[in-house]
Amino acid sequence: MEMEERKYGVYICLGCGIAEAVKFEGLEKAARKNGKIPHIKSHPILCSPEGLEFLKGDMAAEGINCAVICACSPRVKYEEFDIPGALIERINIRELVAWTHEPMAEETQLLAEDYVVMGCAKIKKSDLPAGVPVEIERAILVIGGGVTGLTAALEAANLGQQVVLVEKEAELGGLGAGLFQQTPRSYPYQELEVPVVFSKIKEVLTNPKIKVLTKSEVVMIDGQPGLYDVTIKTDGKEDIYKIGAVILAAGAKPYDATKLGHLGYGKSDDVVTNWELEKIAADGRILRPSNGKPAEKVVFIQCAGSVDPDHLPYCSAFCCGTSLKQAKYVRTMNPDALAYIIYKNMRTLGQNELFYKHAQNDPGILLTKGDVTGVEVADDGSLAVIAENTLLGEKIKLEADLVVLATGLVPATLDHPVLNLNYRQGPGLPDLELFQGFADSNFICFQYETRRTGIYAAGAVRQPMDMATAMEDAAGAALKAYQCLEHTAKGIAVHPRAWDQTFPDPFMQRCTACKRCTEECPFGAIEEDEKGTPFYKINRCRRCGTCMGACPERIVSFKDFSVDIVGSMVKAMDVPEEGTRIVAFVCENDAYPAIDAAALNRLQLHPAVRFIPVRCLGSFNLVWIADALSRGIDGILIMGCKYGDDYQCHFAKGSELANYRMGKLQETLDRLALESERAQFIEVAINDFDKLPKLIEDFVVRVEEIGPNPYKEF
Amino acid sequence: MADETVIKSDLAFVKRLQECGGESLKKCYQCATCSVVCNISPDDKPYPRKEMLMAQWGLKDQIVKDPDIWACHYCGDCTTYCPRGANPGEVLGAMRQATIEHYSFPTQLARMVSQPKFLPVLLALPVLVILFVMKLTGTLGNIPAGTIKYSNMVPLLAIDAIFMAAAGFAVFVFVNGVRRYWKDLNADVSPWKAKLSDKSVISATIEVLKEFIVHKRFKECVTNYARATSHLLLVLGFIALAIVTAWSAYYEWASKFGLIPHKESPFSITEPIKWVALLGTILLLYGIYLIYQQRQAKANGAGFGGYFDWLLIWVIVAVGVTGALSWILRLANLASLAYPMYFLHLVSVFFLFFYAPYTKMAHLVYRTTALVFAKMQGRE
Amino acid sequence: MNASNKKILVIGGGMSGLTAALEAAETGAQVVVVEKSPYLGGRVAQLNKYFPKLCPPTCGLEINFKRIKNNPDITFYTMTDVTQITGQAGDFNVTLNVRPRYVNDKCVACNKCAEVCPVERVNDFNYGLDNNKAAYLPFDMAFPYQYVIDMSVCLGEACKKCVKACEYNAIELDMAPQTVNLNVGAIVVAGGWNLYDATKIDNLGFGQVANVITNMQMERLAAPNGPTGGKIQRPSDGAEPKSVAFVQCAGSRDENHLPYCSYICCMASLKQATYLLDQDPEAQATIFYIDIRTPGRYEQFYWKVRDRENVELVRGKVAKITQAPGDKVEVVAEDTATGNKVRRVFDLVVLAAGMEPSTKSDKIPLAVKYTDEGFIDPTGLPAGIFAVGSMKSPLDVAKSVQDGTGAAIKALQSLVGR
Repeated sequence: MEMEERKYGVYICLGCGIAEAVKFEGLEKAARKNGKIPHIKSHPILCSPEGLEFLKGDMAAEGINCAVICACSPRVKYEEFDIPGALIERINIRELVAWTHEPMAEETQLLAEDYVVMGCAKIKKSDLPAGVPVEIERAILVIGGGVTGLTAALEAANLGQQVVLVEKEAELGGLGAGLFQQTPRSYPYQELEVPVVFSKIKEVLTNPKIKVLTKSEVVMIDGQPGLYDVTIKTDGKEDIYKIGAVILAAGAKPYDATKLGHLGYGKSDDVVTNWELEKIAADGRILRPSNGKPAEKVVFIQCAGSVDPDHLPYCSAFCCGTSLKQAKYVRTMNPDALAYIIYKNMRTLGQNELFYKHAQNDPGILLTKGDVTGVEVADDGSLAVIAENTLLGEKIKLEADLVVLATGLVPATLDHPVLNLNYRQGPGLPDLELFQGFADSNFICFQYETRRTGIYAAGAVRQPMDMATAMEDAAGAALKAYQCLEHTAKGIAVHPRAWDQTFPDPFMQRCTACKRCTEECPFGAIEEDEKGTPFYKINRCRRCGTCMGACPERIVSFKDFSVDIVGSMVKAMDVPEEGTRIVAFVCENDAYPAIDAAALNRLQLHPAVRFIPVRCLGSFNLVWIADALSRGIDGILIMGCKYGDDYQCHFAKGSELANYRMGKLQETLDRLALESERAQFIEVAINDFDKLPKLIEDFVVRVEEIGPNPYKEF
Repeated sequence: MADETVIKSDLAFVKRLQECGGESLKKCYQCATCSVVCNISPDDKPYPRKEMLMAQWGLKDQIVKDPDIWACHYCGDCTTYCPRGANPGEVLGAMRQATIEHYSFPTQLARMVSQPKFLPVLLALPVLVILFVMKLTGTLGNIPAGTIKYSNMVPLLAIDAIFMAAAGFAVFVFVNGVRRYWKDLNADVSPWKAKLSDKSVISATIEVLKEFIVHKRFKECVTNYARATSHLLLVLGFIALAIVTAWSAYYEWASKFGLIPHKESPFSITEPIKWVALLGTILLLYGIYLIYQQRQAKANGAGFGGYFDWLLIWVIVAVGVTGALSWILRLANLASLAYPMYFLHLVSVFFLFFYAPYTKMAHLVYRTTALVFAKMQGRE
Repeated sequence: MNASNKKILVIGGGMSGLTAALEAAETGAQVVVVEKSPYLGGRVAQLNKYFPKLCPPTCGLEINFKRIKNNPDITFYTMTDVTQITGQAGDFNVTLNVRPRYVNDKCVACNKCAEVCPVERVNDFNYGLDNNKAAYLPFDMAFPYQYVIDMSVCLGEACKKCVKACEYNAIELDMAPQTVNLNVGAIVVAGGWNLYDATKIDNLGFGQVANVITNMQMERLAAPNGPTGGKIQRPSDGAEPKSVAFVQCAGSRDENHLPYCSYICCMASLKQATYLLDQDPEAQATIFYIDIRTPGRYEQFYWKVRDRENVELVRGKVAKITQAPGDKVEVVAEDTATGNKVRRVFDLVVLAAGMEPSTKSDKIPLAVKYTDEGFIDPTGLPAGIFAVGSMKSPLDVAKSVQDGTGAAIKALQSLVGR
């Protein structure tokens, strides 16, 4: 919201050691002279009830609607200083100054004064944000009619949402419908269950809110959250559906057993996969496919193709439970039959251990660890399984009538984009190769965060999992889809800035269509028109500011965060002729809290450094370095989280991009005859508070060795 | 790489072990806690983890030849700590029973001994035998009144005949079984056959017996340390009574041949032989009382034992109690009670002797054999 | 629907509870979180790093706390127990008992109270590895960022040093418990888990042998905000261990203790092996296990750690741990791969102790079905009540988050349905 008449005030708290560390008079003078805000007040304890009464009273009396509050970290006392309708800039002179620097030292005073002036500079360029509500489509598209998709559809429908469920096969049910029975899902984890998928199918088919499209495929998803046009081909005919959010539940398919020739698959009809055994068991008897005679000795080979560098480098997570279940089939259908299970590691996690214990207790279910090296097929068709490193001996041979390969799962997204997004950045989800083809999240704490806003993956397409887990997962994805619609309608961001009402507002007249923003946006939120001019699909945007950092023309701004705002803060710093000055751009999610933690521990930081928090290092624009160097600042630090495969950036690419831009910068610096070491990127995790002082100190020392910025004198 | 071992599972044998008190054997998931908590299990190829796997897989051939099942003294440490409730101690007991069954001839008889439903049939044999002998000697229903003298009921000579025959049978079965067992032990290259020692059979046997006398191994158990003492009492009582039996036989036969002055039971309380008999009976009964108490107290954790186990104990109790009561009733001069009691005493002694190769009594023999073998292999 | 029964109560402010609360609140629902400890974040706050990414848990917590700070629809109570629940789905009356913190909202976390406090308490946050003052901040990233006084050791009126030292009038030693009544439409139970008491495993030496610690203690030792500033040191003498044994299934998969698998311990020990080797690349990590349970893509992490030099895996459960000379610890297991016993001496032994649901000891005030091990059996829950995370079965953080998110939609459904 644009403020009609802005009136500024600076409020300085003197509590928590601030008054003991710096002189109020100096701060007041700096705010007035360099911050150009004449109304400056202080209070001994600004956050106390008396202090707040004073603050609010003063603001009301003076008509102040833009307040620079110089006190503690904005991470604390957030409720106290939340003054509706007013633009508040929190300047952290407690943690960043009083708690981390020598009290009453000249450098400490200069540091605090700089922060106050920087705050004044920032508030003058900032505005109050306001989301723009939009009319959206509310239907949720669920891709995949297996147990995950069915569950997701029901969960969303039970919340009142319209759902379009797309299944490529003629029947609903997916892999789950191919099961004879299901492993137990509840205490005491003993009795096999009727596959839950059948009741789900019934529920879905009778739910008026769910439109089921079988023999259908998603041809294209165009648009953005809340406003998708999804082209679906049903029986060769294409229709366009208006969709708000997407749940990707395309599931997985069994690993191709023909690649398991070494385990006898394809060499004998009596070597079957666990999926095939379900069909055999459905007849009520376990018969050998080769001759129809009862199988008396059934050998289960675990990890057939899974946890194998030559096949699938992951554990398929459900197979141990499944083989125990199938061993029970063997035994129930023929009490004289024996079921052998050769496993690498029995993986029945959590309470599933109770099912293992139960199944194992059957005298005819025999288990050993071991590595199966081969399955021999004799001329008469009899089978023998050879295993090494078993508990029974170095190398054993087991005669078998039937061999069951516990084959794992391959996600639908491994070799097909499935989503068919009409996005400039491609039709599928990015980063799939990182997750062995699964449509997974990289965030442990935030399981549903893909890099495509509005699209939430669940079930076996996301991670190897059993059906009980897939159902829980489906519920989670349904929630996220619903939540995305709620936020999009209000015009506010979704995770991780789920409260954010700002949005990137580009000054398009100056756009050169260089396309850096379209390439670098981690969420593919920026498309190009026919002329190649970028435009935002704003509902895809997560407000990280990567576009702002990418733009060489500096045209992208948020109400409270822009190239200009940060540039002004840099320029507001006082750069004396003597003494080193360093500016550090720090990620507000990780590095900044780490500095607060260092302050809590009263670790001392170097007084030459001024920290400026940024939304994400992706928003870090190289022009700030130019601003800093031309101001005579001697060094620039960029502090953000770890990047690479295990990236920690909540916007996926921020610190990686910052590092990439720094690489390019260094060439420029060299060209300008400025030492490239003056600017440095350092990885800082949120718990690295203990390492911070030294990291910073080391950098200052290096910069001091290089010498003062030659531009200082200009 | 060694040649592959062809695994043949015997489901019937698994079930047999389960019937013999090893019903929990399937619960084992091979963590090897048992092998570690067992203080008498060696570091090299320890037991009973590997035995549990053999049991689960029904590897009968390997189990009956495994000397390690006899190294176990059933102290219950493994059962107490077993995380899965697989009760390895009980399973090993079942394996020992199965081994006794396997090596004792005829196997059917062994099977009968291990099942409570056959107990009346088994008891019928000594009852009939003794009644038959009484008939032959004409004492059936025809015991002279007056001072109670048990030889009036069954003459000493007849007693000797009956019990020599019973013992002879037992020895024959034992010899036969041990011979086969010894052959099997030595036939295979067992995984635990290390041959680190060159001890002779004799010296190995002497060492084993010496260890038995003091229950050296038993005392290393933790959970049931006290059990070593009670078992030792039982064994000492047993030895004492064996001595008494030999002693009285010596009196009988030596006097018969005029080597010593005539001496015949009943012996007076002043006779040393009586002291030993009394002491033996007390030790025996007290030992059993302790065993019962201890097992009862720790039944949930360390295992209580099955029918096979308890049968021997109750037979020994029967021998001890009927023997003691026979003596007391004789002193009390209650003929109408004393003679039937003595009859019961004879029945229980016969039972003990005759069925020895099939009851847990056989553990004396097979355990000794197995441990001698182990000693010779240098497996401590 | 009136305003009050649109509320959702979340019992437990750990990862599952926070997730359920935030995900629900971000759809516009009113959510109240009740947490029994003085801070939010639960067990994950005590972890040094998450597997498999080896990233710090406080990073995700920071985002979650930020979400709370910016969301007016979510409120929370710390140091609070739910004492009574009546009613039915859509209309539950809940009574909360807010225990006194003895420090009010005026606290600025300046640490003056702790500085003057003359008494110490065992630091439960660090699993007893050190002591802190009776007036303390639970940990450096604690949210709320507010001190608390442990009245069980505080000298009270007789001392009052903190009251005098506090310039902000934040300390109220006479603070009384408060009763709060709420009407809510749905309840999410996310009580979390406690570490199994390893002293009960009498053959593994915990509490008897000095240098035997639990996995959670290892997390605290390795954490920069832990008792040793992130240095892994053995308790007896502070020496940095050269060899560490990780003992898997210490209590888990064990009928005498916890019959189920605790899900996280294999991954946790593999992770902790990296802590050790990051501190000292020459050190030796030996993991004794029954089955390595690294489901799904966690397998990759297992391979990565397994293939590191100085990491050894022994397939056999440790069943005996005793004191060895020189403050060392002897560990005995049977290596089932060779069939021989291994007796090895280590500088430090870490027991992979398992998870016990908080409902094992702390039942919720409601008639629900529990398993023998104290988990909530979700099939026996009344309508409108949902159990999440480790209430139902042991799980890891990722699964807690999935489950918490899923619980949010169920809670919302039960509000909409009315």
